[in-house]
Amino acid sequence: MNSNTLFIIFSSLLVLCALMVIVSKHPVFSLLFLVGCFIFSSFLLFLLECEFLALLFIVIYVGAIAVLFLFAIMMLDTKSINLSKNVLKYIPAGFIFFIFFLTPVLTLVSDHFNTNFLANSFYFNKYQNWYDMVDSVSDVEVYGHVLYSYFVLHFLIAGFTLLLVLIGVVYLTNNFNKSQILEQSISKQLSRNSSFFFEKFDDK
Amino acid sequence: MTNNLYNVVSLQSFTVFPEYFITLSIIYILIVITLITYNSNGLMLQKAVSECMSLILFMTCYLILNDDFTSASYFVDILSFSNAVIYDSLASFTRFWLCFFSGVYFLFVADSLKEQKLTSFEYLIIILFAVLGLLIMCSSNDLLLTYLAIELSSLAFYVLASFKKTSSYSVESGIKYFITGAVSSAFFLLGSSFIYGFTGSINFFDFYRMYNASIYDYIMVQWFPGIGYLPGFFFESWLFSFSFRSSYARLLEVYDLTFDDLLSGYTIEYFNFVEIGLTLILFSLFIKLAAAPFHLWSLDVYEGSPTSSTIFFAVITKLSILVVLIRLCHMAFFEIKEWWDFYFLSIGVFSIFVGSFGGLKQRKLKTLLAYSSTSHMGYILIAMGSDTFTGVQMALVYMIIYMISSLCVWSILLFLRLKRKNITTKYNKELGDLALLRKSNISLSLALSLTMFSIAGIPPLVGFLAKLGVFLPLIINSYYLPALASIVFSVVSTFYYIRLIKVLYFENILVGKLYYPINSEKTIILSILIFALIFLFCNPTLLYLACYKISLALFVDPVTYSSLPINYLFNK
Repeated sequence: MNSNTLFIIFSSLLVLCALMVIVSKHPVFSLLFLVGCFIFSSFLLFLLECEFLALLFIVIYVGAIAVLFLFAIMMLDTKSINLSKNVLKYIPAGFIFFIFFLTPVLTLVSDHFNTNFLANSFYFNKYQNWYDMVDSVSDVEVYGHVLYSYFVLHFLIAGFTLLLVLIGVVYLTNNFNKSQILEQSISKQLSRNSSFFFEKFDDK
Repeated sequence: MTNNLYNVVSLQSFTVFPEYFITLSIIYILIVITLITYNSNGLMLQKAVSECMSLILFMTCYLILNDDFTSASYFVDILSFSNAVIYDSLASFTRFWLCFFSGVYFLFVADSLKEQKLTSFEYLIIILFAVLGLLIMCSSNDLLLTYLAIELSSLAFYVLASFKKTSSYSVESGIKYFITGAVSSAFFLLGSSFIYGFTGSINFFDFYRMYNASIYDYIMVQWFPGIGYLPGFFFESWLFSFSFRSSYARLLEVYDLTFDDLLSGYTIEYFNFVEIGLTLILFSLFIKLAAAPFHLWSLDVYEGSPTSSTIFFAVITKLSILVVLIRLCHMAFFEIKEWWDFYFLSIGVFSIFVGSFGGLKQRKLKTLLAYSSTSHMGYILIAMGSDTFTGVQMALVYMIIYMISSLCVWSILLFLRLKRKNITTKYNKELGDLALLRKSNISLSLALSLTMFSIAGIPPLVGFLAKLGVFLPLIINSYYLPALASIVFSVVSTFYYIRLIKVLYFENILVGKLYYPINSEKTIILSILIFALIFLFCNPTLLYLACYKISLALFVDPVTYSSLPINYLFNK
């Protein structure tokens, strides 16, 4: 088993999920595959030894952004339009675009990256970085060392941006017009008893 | 560099004292006003808070003037916060004018907030956040700090544009501004990631040294005459972000002609990713400046936003973006001038064309002024794209004069309040509303006509000198065709400026609209600004001299804070 095997599996599954996002009929299916995309990119980051960033991807992308998308889809009234009958019409043009846009990009990328022929050979066991066994710093420690010393001002300004967004969002979504907002009535919730849930069953 | 308390809370923060002051005042005002108003309904504090904020900004101007380094900054740049913040003459000059004009803006806007129904104090706090973001943009030496400052101010602008929740124009303009601004920030990030990927650094001075590395980067410049070279332990200070050796290697990669890989033996061609990255960043900044062909958002946004927000967008935000452009193009990437000056010249001339011909058919005053601001940005861009020293000087001069005259025009638009009882529909000033102003308010119509003459570029007002100054670097560098085209388009744009004066003075109707009179505080400030328009024509020396010194001082070798002698008084 090559160390590249997991990489190939995760990246091909990522491309597959991305394709399914576009091809799915219902938006919730697209969202499911989008969550799959996020998780597979997080796995790729694990393979690249960025644990903190990988977990951050899961927490922020899946935990916040995908949930936000879900709420937006829930509130919108989406009818699944049957687009699949038009697919055959667009295949020739799509194929031409595919060739003319992807070929230069792929040649450009593959010209800049080359694989290590030693690591790819059949007799190669595993690449060991001896320096990392002796003196290595974990991902989070590096973030802490750099973020709070050299980039202090950037960090503070990012915090300030969050404060601004908080003020702006609270103002823009405040609605003091009592007739337009739905509220909960605590007293009604507390005064419910069991006769609220069951009908009287007359055994006659 | 040790990480102890002396390095975190240290005197290097004197370079960002204005930002600290404004930050603390934002926090203080937020807490105090929330405690005052959280329990009482209908307490309207906007006039007092607005005037308080103008006091804060004028105090910041005083702080900038009384910094020990403002006058020395024409000879010395100081880098602080590990080379992220630069304090040089450009930073101190633009920070001063930014705070001054923002203070004047708050004074103009204080009274009219009630009429526009923008009585929440959050409006003013968000404007102060925007001013903070613009201040940081003026003094940033880092791509990342510039991006963060752009985001801070842009987020404030999105909220400001959509602040009037009851008006669908306002909400729509907020959404348009948000989408356009987010796309332009995405371009900025893509460009800076290209530049970082192919140079290894995000510091503007590193980009300059990448093309111009010299042995003097190792030897410290004499800080005090007579002391001689400082002892050797300052080499460990962060004078530059990567060493001379690696900068030479970067230079090879960037200008990479052929590079034989030992393992596989192919050659890497010359991909100009640094220039592509710079182009993307330039496009992002042009979108934010509302230069053509990226100006379409500004027409709808300026029309739909509440007028006090529009004044802020049109007048005050452009200066900081110009500063970022100067730092990027004339300081950092000056060596590849032949790459980016094409963009400046072509987009500048196109902006003047679009601004001149687009305003011809406009009757709505705010859209008219939006087109005119597009053409002004075109003039500034062609000045920047032609020459270094004269170009930067004239661009800064033009920007200051643009800010003065725009503040006059927009504030006159703001001051005119109709005497009406019911305002149920959206009402924006139209060209016909100004008719018969000569009868109801003689001096206001005189002020407006003088400002219009200045914007059109007619002597004896300072707009003429500004436009003359913009064409000078073009002629110096023999760019005759752009100069000729710009002059012709500027004559075309004179039409809609003079049409405004014609409506004011020569309209043949019997009944005009009735306006409230204007109180005396605002009149005094407006008359000072109008007087400045005439005075600066007769004696523009101070402005020209300051901008000239700035354009010369762009290439001064910087001094990092930690190598200043005063730092050795503390334990290091």
